Amino acid sequence: MLKIKDLHTHIEQFHILQGVNLEVPDNSVTVVLGRNGAGKTTTIRSVMGFYPNMSGEILFQGKSIAKLPPYTVAKQGIGYVPEDQDIFAGLTVEENMRVAMRREDDTTLERQEWLLDLFPDLREAWKRKGGHLSGGQKQMLSIARALVNETPLLLVDEPSKGLAPIMVEKVMEAMNVIRETTTILLVEQNFIMASQLGDYFYMIDEGRTVFQGEMQLLKDDEVLRKKYLGIA
Amino acid sequence: MKTTTKVTAYTNPSSGLNPLRIITWQKGAWIVCCLMLFAVPLLITKNSYLFLLTNIFIWSVFAMSYNLLLGFTGIISFGHAMFFGIGAYSLALTARHVPGGEVGFILAILATVVICFVLSLIVGLLSLRLRDTFYALITLAVATIFVIIAEQWRSMTMGNDGFNFTASLSRDLFGFINLLDRRHVYYIALIFLIGMFLLLKRFIDSPVGRTLQAIRDNEARAASLGYAVLNYKLISNILAGVMAGLAGVVYAISIRFVSPDSVLGVENTIDVLLMTVIGGVGTLLGPIIGAAVVEVSSHYLMGLANIHPIFERWVILFGVVFILIILFFPAGIVGTIKQKFLSKKKGVSS
Amino acid sequence: MELHLTLIFNGLATGMLIFLLAAGLSLIFGLMSVLNFAHGALFMFGAYMGTWVYILIGGWNSPWGNLNFFVGMIAAALIGVVLGYLVERFTVRQVYGNHLRQILITTGVMLVVAELVKVFWGPNLIRVVQPEFLQGHFLVGDVRLTYYRVFIILFSTMILILLLFMLKKSKIGVVVRAGVENSQMVQALGINIRKVFTLVFIFGTMLACIGGYMWGPFQGQVNPGMGLDLMLIAFIVVAIGGLGSVAGSAIAAVLVGLSEAYMAYYFPPGSLAVNMLIMAAVLLIKPTGLLGAGR
Ligand SMILES: Nc1ncnc2c1ncn2[C@@H]1O[C@H](COP(=O)(O)OP(=O)(O)OP(=O)(O)O)[C@@H](O)[C@H]1O
Ligand SMILES: [Mg+2]
Repeated sequence: MLKIKDLHTHIEQFHILQGVNLEVPDNSVTVVLGRNGAGKTTTIRSVMGFYPNMSGEILFQGKSIAKLPPYTVAKQGIGYVPEDQDIFAGLTVEENMRVAMRREDDTTLERQEWLLDLFPDLREAWKRKGGHLSGGQKQMLSIARALVNETPLLLVDEPSKGLAPIMVEKVMEAMNVIRETTTILLVEQNFIMASQLGDYFYMIDEGRTVFQGEMQLLKDDEVLRKKYLGIA
Repeated sequence: MKTTTKVTAYTNPSSGLNPLRIITWQKGAWIVCCLMLFAVPLLITKNSYLFLLTNIFIWSVFAMSYNLLLGFTGIISFGHAMFFGIGAYSLALTARHVPGGEVGFILAILATVVICFVLSLIVGLLSLRLRDTFYALITLAVATIFVIIAEQWRSMTMGNDGFNFTASLSRDLFGFINLLDRRHVYYIALIFLIGMFLLLKRFIDSPVGRTLQAIRDNEARAASLGYAVLNYKLISNILAGVMAGLAGVVYAISIRFVSPDSVLGVENTIDVLLMTVIGGVGTLLGPIIGAAVVEVSSHYLMGLANIHPIFERWVILFGVVFILIILFFPAGIVGTIKQKFLSKKKGVSS
Repeated sequence: MELHLTLIFNGLATGMLIFLLAAGLSLIFGLMSVLNFAHGALFMFGAYMGTWVYILIGGWNSPWGNLNFFVGMIAAALIGVVLGYLVERFTVRQVYGNHLRQILITTGVMLVVAELVKVFWGPNLIRVVQPEFLQGHFLVGDVRLTYYRVFIILFSTMILILLLFMLKKSKIGVVVRAGVENSQMVQALGINIRKVFTLVFIFGTMLACIGGYMWGPFQGQVNPGMGLDLMLIAFIVVAIGGLGSVAGSAIAAVLVGLSEAYMAYYFPPGSLAVNMLIMAAVLLIKPTGLLGAGR
């Protein structure tokens, strides 16, 4: 689905990513792990095309999407759930969904219904302003917004960050449903969530891919977890 | 503007190869230039040329002070002419109302320094915290208020018509300066320019000046390194304001006339903006070149108005050139030449 | 009492005209964070173009005077669309993301456009009168209401309602509001924000040109100084109202219009100072302006 080869990204004068390699197989959940500041967010944002100052290869369904502007990347069918959700605070939940809709036809509206069934909280808050939602609701909205169009690939940046445990549970359940139809690239620090959802993992450290494999491997390897994540 | 920091970063190591020779060569060129300028009044006796050169010197200082804001601090002021105007009106009013040449002259300079200092401090405190766009807006508004005051306070300023004070200018200031002699005024302006240039150069190369440029290039980073960003911007704001005020004092001596339009209005700020951008934002020499280009070409274009009235609209030409420079040569004349020169040198050495 | 009612009425009319100028400025500022210094000059160009057409086809004295007035307005709107497109496409678009260069380049555009007005129509003012059906006044109690001012208030209110409706209900309106908050995220949702920028710039310029055209008969003339004077007021309105908020601009414009009317009566030279004090007071209490998004 997605293949990243030797990705280097500069932000201003800083060489942030110094060789990220990553592959997301079709119909999988691939988790990116790494400590704070490792470059996980930068990797995802590079895929989205936010950093023109990059080099390397990014293939989506076999086609190169490197250096395309964000809106074209999104149009190819890549949904993006940013680290801070980036909900439009002055817009209602409904309007937030509407901004994302490429067409307002029956298929899209059906998808929206499906998403609202997945996240009933959103249906309840339908007319409420984005700025007045709880953290969990924002996260749900951000995910729903990214999926309202036909979306073969979803990029999710730390969906559990700052959420209450119940909300993490809810989001995880929803992701389990979403994975049936959508390939997911997930950045996640919460190892419980990461290990339950992930099929494969990639470890990023100081802007480089340092380790990769099937999730089972990481679950069994305490030493490795300690080394790169500082958790047992 | 970032390129200019690279430029200086590049010259330093290269001059390190043979510091003595390069420094003396550069200094020599400067001294020759200055000497030639000092010799000009001995060769050219036509007052109108001296007048033109004098005004170029004065506008150079005004533009240099503007460049301190635009080029070295990275902020745009639309009210810079208020300082210039305050200086000019200070001189004009003291010349008219305070008898005894020296007293009035010194009073004018003191008043200019004090008022410009306080005003730039207040305006800076009010607007430098806000987004950069607000600084442009607030300076424009405050300057407009000064224009309105000058227009309305007729008993003092003669309103829109302004006033001429040739008759009140001292013929023997401190016993040896005749402010009515174009050559004397020429020397005052030239010495003023050289003094201000050296002062500005020292300031830019000082730790404060360097920090200022670091803030310009990346404010967030400078702030995170613990620099009090606002204070540095305030310093530059005050220095620029006082410098513009003093330029206004000398300008009033040169043109012997003040009116809201000629020294206070926003058109004057736009003129220095043009000079700075055309000459080279963020370079020391740029404003001088820019002032010369703008003053000389407007002088001749205005002369052409007798031939065809379209030349009355010469500002349009400046506007177009200005847009093209911002689009294609954002480093201006001096900056672009510097880049070309340096890249050639680089090409040879590598 | 009549005095106050009259001043309030005049202030409303002035304010609603300023709103036409400020609305576009606010949207452009809010969405693309471009402080468009050319806005006032474009406003003036629209005024001249519309007035020129209005007079060219017979003006207010011809039997078609009423119709001529609206033809002039359409001409002003059209030139607004053309100028808005040209300015955005060839200057502003080239420097998105760089505040300093944006301010500089729009200043350059201001110079050129303001001079073009003098090239085409000369440096002197041109007299212009409202069409017959808007001449004269009627009395409500002892308050004289001139038809033209009533027209300005009604017309601008209509534009305001239309604008708010579009922003609230239409897809593009929702996208614009989203873009004012976070244009990067809008892009990440698959929308080419640059196209939206162009559209908003064109629309804002068109509104300014219509406003400029209506300003003519309001003052009885158009002149080459009108752009700069009003631009400063429009900036103040935008700052008071909150960047990118149309409703905020409307409230602020009326506020400033009222202060203009009162100051014009009591102490004309002080009007700018009072407007600035209002701005300072509002920004002190709420730095994002009356209805600005908290950014
Ligand atoms: N705009 C920027 N300017 C300078 N440095 C930046 C910028 N954005 C990110 N960085 C740096 O890049 C590095 C990687 O950041 P990134 O946000 O990708 O990390 P991350 O792995 O997502 O961390 P976290 O777990 O905290 O979200 C960090 O060291 C950060 O300081
Ligand atoms: Mg991150």
